[in-house]
Amino acid sequence: MIPELKILRPEKLIDLLDLIAPADGATRILAGGTDIIPGFHINSKRFSSIRKLVETVKIPEMHEIKEEDDSVIIGSSVTFSELINSELINTYFPLLVKAVSKIGSVQIRNRATIAGNFVNNAPCADSVPPLLVYNAEVEIANKNSTRKVLLNDFLEKPYKTQLKDSECVVRIILKKIDKTFTGDFYKLGRRRGVAISRITLAVILKKENNIIKDIRIASGAVTPIGMRFTELENDLIGKEITPELLVSSSQKLGKNVLDVTGLRWSSVYKVPVIQRTFYNLLENICLD
Amino acid sequence: MEKNKKNFKIVGKPIVRQDGVTKVTGKAKFAADYNFPNELQSVMLRIHSSHALIKSIDFSCIENDSNVAAIIDHRDIPGDKKVGVIKKDQPIFCSEKVVTPGDVIAMIVGKSERELIKIKDKIKIEYEDLPVLTDPSKSLETDAPLIHPEYKSNLIVHYPLRKGNVDSGFSNSEHILEQTYTTQNIEHAYIEPECVTAIPQIDNSIKIIGSIQNPHTTRRIVAAVLGISLSQVVIIQADLGGSFGGKDDTMNILSARAAVAAIKTGRPVKIKYSREDSILESYKRHPYVMHYKVGYNSSGKITTMKIDVTADGGAYASMSPFVTWRTVVQATGPYEIENVWTDVKAVYTNNPYTGAMRGFGSPQPIFAQESIMDEIAERLGMNPVEIREINALKQNSVTSTGQRLENHEVTLTKAMKTAIEKTGFVDKWNNYRNQSLDKSNFILSGEDLILSEDKFISRQDKLRRGIGLSISLRGCSLGAEGIDAAAALVAVQPDGSVYLLSGLAENGQGLRTTYSIVAAEILGIATDKIIYLEQDTSRIPDSGPTVASRATLMGGGAFRNASEIIQKRITNLLLNEWQLDKEAELIFEDSMIKHIASNKSIEFTEACSFASQRGINLSVVGWYKGPDVSWDEEIGQGSAYFTYVYGCHVAEVSVNINTGEIYINKITAVHDAGKIINILGAQGQVYGGSTQGAGYAVWEEIDKHNGFIREMNFDQYLIPTSKDIKSIDAIFIEGEDDYGAWGAKSLGEPTLELTAGAIANAVKNATGKRYFNLPLNLEEILLNRKLRPEDMKRGSE
Amino acid sequence: MKITFKLNGENVSIEVESYKRLIDMLREDFELTGTKEGCSIGECGACTVLMDGKAVNSCLVLAAQIDGAEILTIEGVNQGNNLSDLQRNFLTHGAVQCGFCTPGMILSSLALLNENPNPTVEEIEESIAGNLCRCTGYKQIIEAVKATAEMSNQKLRNQSA
Repeated sequence: MIPELKILRPEKLIDLLDLIAPADGATRILAGGTDIIPGFHINSKRFSSIRKLVETVKIPEMHEIKEEDDSVIIGSSVTFSELINSELINTYFPLLVKAVSKIGSVQIRNRATIAGNFVNNAPCADSVPPLLVYNAEVEIANKNSTRKVLLNDFLEKPYKTQLKDSECVVRIILKKIDKTFTGDFYKLGRRRGVAISRITLAVILKKENNIIKDIRIASGAVTPIGMRFTELENDLIGKEITPELLVSSSQKLGKNVLDVTGLRWSSVYKVPVIQRTFYNLLENICLD
Repeated sequence: MEKNKKNFKIVGKPIVRQDGVTKVTGKAKFAADYNFPNELQSVMLRIHSSHALIKSIDFSCIENDSNVAAIIDHRDIPGDKKVGVIKKDQPIFCSEKVVTPGDVIAMIVGKSERELIKIKDKIKIEYEDLPVLTDPSKSLETDAPLIHPEYKSNLIVHYPLRKGNVDSGFSNSEHILEQTYTTQNIEHAYIEPECVTAIPQIDNSIKIIGSIQNPHTTRRIVAAVLGISLSQVVIIQADLGGSFGGKDDTMNILSARAAVAAIKTGRPVKIKYSREDSILESYKRHPYVMHYKVGYNSSGKITTMKIDVTADGGAYASMSPFVTWRTVVQATGPYEIENVWTDVKAVYTNNPYTGAMRGFGSPQPIFAQESIMDEIAERLGMNPVEIREINALKQNSVTSTGQRLENHEVTLTKAMKTAIEKTGFVDKWNNYRNQSLDKSNFILSGEDLILSEDKFISRQDKLRRGIGLSISLRGCSLGAEGIDAAAALVAVQPDGSVYLLSGLAENGQGLRTTYSIVAAEILGIATDKIIYLEQDTSRIPDSGPTVASRATLMGGGAFRNASEIIQKRITNLLLNEWQLDKEAELIFEDSMIKHIASNKSIEFTEACSFASQRGINLSVVGWYKGPDVSWDEEIGQGSAYFTYVYGCHVAEVSVNINTGEIYINKITAVHDAGKIINILGAQGQVYGGSTQGAGYAVWEEIDKHNGFIREMNFDQYLIPTSKDIKSIDAIFIEGEDDYGAWGAKSLGEPTLELTAGAIANAVKNATGKRYFNLPLNLEEILLNRKLRPEDMKRGSE
Repeated sequence: MKITFKLNGENVSIEVESYKRLIDMLREDFELTGTKEGCSIGECGACTVLMDGKAVNSCLVLAAQIDGAEILTIEGVNQGNNLSDLQRNFLTHGAVQCGFCTPGMILSSLALLNENPNPTVEEIEESIAGNLCRCTGYKQIIEAVKATAEMSNQKLRNQSA
């Protein structure tokens, strides 16, 4: 049930930061609302203390997508539909477009926002794996200061991030990557339309003469939170792409996932299948 | 069969539905769209238990709360405290025991639902948990907890069927194959959750308006619960947002609760369910465990079948006795088999109760019998078509219940032939099969989580295509389940406009449109001259429920009867007026009535006005009663249904063997539903039914833990979306029959029952692996099991 | 709290409770009951309305959030007594059975056609993937949307000819 609320709509970022400054546990930022409002309906404990919602809708910098030197800046309240329609994002960060195109329905994508997707840090947040391989940085502000942190560090554990109650994610900063990178995103759901992810994978790769010069790998849904596999990445850099390598690196990814998750009821399905789907993803990237 | 009129003017054409305009403009009124002055809202009181003794309930902390208008429980019920179609085992409010998590102990009513929810948890209920029974295969064990101790057993019903001699049948068979199949609980998933309002009337009667599938059934239950006469209860059906068999028992009980509260408070009381309430309390499709033992010869002839079926009835009997009766009649499928021994049992558990759902006891055995037919073919080196041609029921064949199929055209092999030609079945089946031979390497062991090199499958090999078919016969209407008759009011007004009303209620499928077409065809008028009246139990006789795909057949017959009586009265009047021979024939078409030879004609409207001036009654309640059927309970023999329909589905799929995903590329659905009245509506039935059938095959499952449902909303309970089934081809062959309106028979349920069997066979064709347990979800395909903390009873491996 | 917005083309102001969602306000305060509630969590799409031209689930928007926005519900789709081509095509293609999903389906389709006058079948399927229908199997709905696009393109061609 939705509680009696105070709903505020500041027009300036500083006013928003003032409103959340007391960090009273009862105040929460409302962007798209696609988690919080159904969360009220199911009486989710994560939202039970909320009595005041502060909307981001009127704050211009939270809705912009813009180019700045070698970066693209995405306002934290940019919706998935806006990302999909953005030429900048399509040009420089195609995996992000591919991932968010598969989130929910049109209705959800018209409301749900990029920061909203990861500040809740649900394991199945589909925008996270591409943001991780693009080394996304998160700009966080409170009333007094602004700080930047890598998304990879920002995400701590399921439903927990570095974000404090007095803070707000203002922008996401993506450095444009070298044009010689290729990549792909994969999502497995139980159904074709509007499905919650069972497995997501994002990989970008740079190769020269069939040698891996750089590779970045991230998963979602299958691990407790979206995560990078840096050990495996480092292991692959400098290796020649061979059929054996595709198999062995898929097996290693499987081991890494199992190390992170431990044996769960779903492991007998998810661990083998992430190896197979990663293998197919590497085929797409390495062999074309 | 010569009674069937041949040159139809309207029948068979695409006709826009009668209630269409209100539905595309948002004006259609569904149950939750009705509001009444002074209305009260309600919330249900439940406990978190699947099986418990209620020890005490303390309402004292809310009794004086200003938000509470009344607390309603079993003590407020003046009449029957328990209800049920066969066994009166389901309490309106539980007083002693709770037997499944959906059970309701009391209901609080007040002005604001929001305020009621806030105070609901203050009520103190003491209860003692009892041992929980969730596995139907254990229900009949001697130490099983009794769900309803008064019946002294958890057996709801047992139907035997005995034909020929199975012992000698098996010993004379060259081959025997035995397999076990299981199917799951599924949800109707009508998009409109349940809602009803009861409005007390000044004359002490009660009026109820709601999302009610069968208004006359609801009237009977409400009258019994209130202890008043049928005529004191008026049920009005709101526009119904889908039902599929699902808004029957649940709505009877909700209507009764609302009525009790309305009488107690003297105010209108509304019950409006959330999706979670709906999934928690409403009944589901029965999970079945089915053992099949089949004796057959190298020629492909099946001689003997022994079948044992256990259906999980859940906590209440509901429609289980009817659902499982259809199973015992149809368990051997559309095949002529000399020796049959079938036992079908439905049992109680603490699971959510199961009842009527589109298909009604046939989708489960069709999945089993069509799987085993393909497996027998495979073992004999035949293809799926050959084995079925040998065994299929043909004209004058005798069914497993001993009924000779002689009074209608038996189109089973024609339906199959049409489907296989349309799809190029045999060539595809052979090609795909050759690709899938010896390639079950994709199956995961479930033990070695890190894959060996040979378990990796390249992207170009991961999609496997397959094609599969299934065929069925289906008994039309209720059969020996009950009295089969229906009423129809056709009231022609002096200006030629027409009112219609039937005792059978619109469920959204387009029944009113079908009836309008039947009346318009006979009276020779356009359907836009017809107004269909609000469904109201006080205006029309009980016509039995809108179930069993009987509405077109039975209601169509009744409308034909009423319309023909009116046609006859107008004809007699005009023949007299025009001084023509009493036997002369008049043509009713294009809003004119003509006598060709004498070149005499009159506009329909004028004829009606003339009839009115002459005191001729043009308002008629027509009646259609199905022919008698017979049934011997002891041996399951008799003429179970007075006629049958036939169909064939072909499914074409791709299976991603890396992940276990199944993609439905195409379903080709061939149905003989007799004469098609409205082609648009008929196609809609096929598309919708096949889609539901595909959902049953691949995605849908209500999974339970200790009786508690895990999938409480559409984020977890996955029904097909617009992206999940690529293409559906609907083909009708119109077999000849005398019954109903020109032999228009059943279609709604046949469209659903065949799909899962066809998909399962297509998946086998694609992968080389046979699956025995629905749904064919990701884990089932790769691991041959469902992943859940507590494994359920399963079929062959 | 008081909000002002445009509803089906008319400017309106209303005092609304903070806990009300857009769907509650439309159904209870404006008696626009064409917007349906099927799941309350944004999965079924029966409550779809257009907010500033975009399809949204009105069960996932608080009433307070639409201050200053433009809302179109099913009641505003037809002009006066005339059905739109889209509504008419829903009828003639048999895209309506029980009708409970129909208002949401029509609004999702309308949003698509406004943005993309020439959608492919895949684009139509995607645009209504968030609108569950249990009756029709979607096929006739997709055909109705396709036919509407073709009609409006034909009209444009006739105008330019």
